[in-house]
Amino acid sequence: MEQMLLNISSTLPDVSGYVFPNEYVLQWELLIVVYPYLTGLVAGAFILASLERVFKVSVLRPIYRLSLLTALSFMLIAPLPLLAHLGHPERSIEMFLTPHSSSAMAMFGFIYAWYLMVVLLLEIWFDYRKDFIIWAQEASGLKRLMYRVLALGTKDISKGAIDFDEKAGKFITILGIPSAFLLHGYVGFIFGSIKANPWWSSVLMPIVFLFSAIVSGIALVLLIYMISTMFRWKKMNMACVNKLAEFLFYAIIVDFSLELLDFIHRLYESEESIDILSEMISSRLFMSLIVSQIIIGTLVPAVALAFGRFGGFYSEMRRMLFFVAAILVQVGIFSTRWNVVIGGQLFSKSMRGLTVYKVEVFGMEGLLMTILFLVVPFVLLYFMIKIMPPWMDEGLEDIKLDKSNGVTSPPTTA
Amino acid sequence: MSHRPWHIAPLVALFTILIVVFLVARAKLVPETFGDLGFYRAQALDDVSELEISYAGMDACFDCHDDVFEEKSGSYHDGLSCEVCHGPSAKHVDEPDEFTPTAPRERGYCILCHGYNPSRPSGFPQILPEQHNPGKVCMSCHEPHNPLLPHTPEECSACHRDVANVKQVSHHATLECVTCHDVPDAHRTDPRNEHAEKPIDPSTCAKCHADGADSSEKIPRVDIEEHGGRYLCWDCHYPHYPESK
Repeated sequence: MEQMLLNISSTLPDVSGYVFPNEYVLQWELLIVVYPYLTGLVAGAFILASLERVFKVSVLRPIYRLSLLTALSFMLIAPLPLLAHLGHPERSIEMFLTPHSSSAMAMFGFIYAWYLMVVLLLEIWFDYRKDFIIWAQEASGLKRLMYRVLALGTKDISKGAIDFDEKAGKFITILGIPSAFLLHGYVGFIFGSIKANPWWSSVLMPIVFLFSAIVSGIALVLLIYMISTMFRWKKMNMACVNKLAEFLFYAIIVDFSLELLDFIHRLYESEESIDILSEMISSRLFMSLIVSQIIIGTLVPAVALAFGRFGGFYSEMRRMLFFVAAILVQVGIFSTRWNVVIGGQLFSKSMRGLTVYKVEVFGMEGLLMTILFLVVPFVLLYFMIKIMPPWMDEGLEDIKLDKSNGVTSPPTTA
Repeated sequence: MSHRPWHIAPLVALFTILIVVFLVARAKLVPETFGDLGFYRAQALDDVSELEISYAGMDACFDCHDDVFEEKSGSYHDGLSCEVCHGPSAKHVDEPDEFTPTAPRERGYCILCHGYNPSRPSGFPQILPEQHNPGKVCMSCHEPHNPLLPHTPEECSACHRDVANVKQVSHHATLECVTCHDVPDAHRTDPRNEHAEKPIDPSTCAKCHADGADSSEKIPRVDIEEHGGRYLCWDCHYPHYPESK
């Protein structure tokens, strides 16, 4: 109680207009911003993987497995912010034991389980099974045992078995695309279906969430691929990087168009909330929406990607542009999640006042916890990569080290 | 001859085990009567009904304390059950000599309901405990069974604290409430039956804000006939805090 009063007293001086007493302090804080951000990365990374598998974009082969592992590592961490926010992780099992069909959250538990168990894990298993068997034969001791367990004891690597794995993997990927759409579409659905909140209530919300997920997923895999290639002293597959940047550019255009459509639609409708929402955008959300999301997170990376992809630069310059664009996209998408989650709670339902949100550093929902939840998936991914190397480097050269001048590699214009 | 995918047998077995484990866990963990009557454990109704009864209800008090009951009837605390202040008293009803209900005398107790809180309705008597006879026990002035005020309130803020708090930081801070509201004298002593009137047309605001009004030049003026069209002034301007949007 005292802590709550302290929160209110620190908030009060910045509150403007009339705000109902139960609206001074936000109920959904930073962890709820992280949650849709993480699930978005999962859905985006998976959809990227399916481009190679289902739509036969073979140039993306080098990042196929990396995308799957990225999706898995973020998927395993994605529910933790929710559990930390709710404070009673032991109760989450109830959602599965006695699910209520009228609860979108409860139904999502099954979508999540389906996506993790039937889509991601199965696809990865079918894809890696042959490798698990080979690695088990090459390794010894505990490592050998681990690979045998991962292969579930199977040893058949005949052509017939591998062909079956290939077909099964493809079938699961096809099944996975609508599942990935459901996974992140649901997060948008949760917000979009809150009809009492004019900032959230929009049928476009699931679609907007989905495309922003694709944007963030592609950008993340692009970043991880570039950084990991650098640390492995390999030359980047520029054809793959170019294609990733191209898809990222198209996804940004579609995503931005959808958000613009949503914005124009709200303006044209001009419901009674439009005044307070306009005030919120021009004051509380100016930095995070106009500057961070639209300018830094969308327009600048879109221009950088367009120049990088179609500007005829050397590959060094391209890589730099793509790298910066991918980082800015992450900033932009995180801002998008912030603007949805926090923005939706900043204005009063009286439509006459705005409250403020101040991020706390410590505590269960503070900045440090948030950073932890954003870092842990990368640590998990690191260990997964160590156990299940996803690299497909056929035909790629190692970078030669020139002792006198440092790293050298001739400029290539792929 | 096509290849038989026997190598997925362990996978099928693993999924079968997981599904069986889930079904067994569900059978074990979901309470037996869950869902019989609705989305809850039906047995909970019996469990609750078997709990010891703590509250006796107001009618039980009437049997012995009819004098207090008479005093309370028709007072501002008429609708308040005795046990709200005196605590659960079922034991007292069963064994009057063994158990005596609590009778709160502390100042902090009344403040639970009558301390200022902006979410309470306007008109509900609310005090600022630090300013309202600090240190004095409430019962020394107010009889809780018939809480008439010891004297007629001097300020409207005694009951309309929420309005007063907003008004005092607005441009209307210096205006008396009666500038806009017709308040019969009886409203101060019998507010439930004698109501203060609210303005019903723009003429109230026009007294100060109309183009030709006899008021300070610094007060904003509008053409009261044209401004706002068919809307009333307070559809757009909150009179107690006219600066707000």
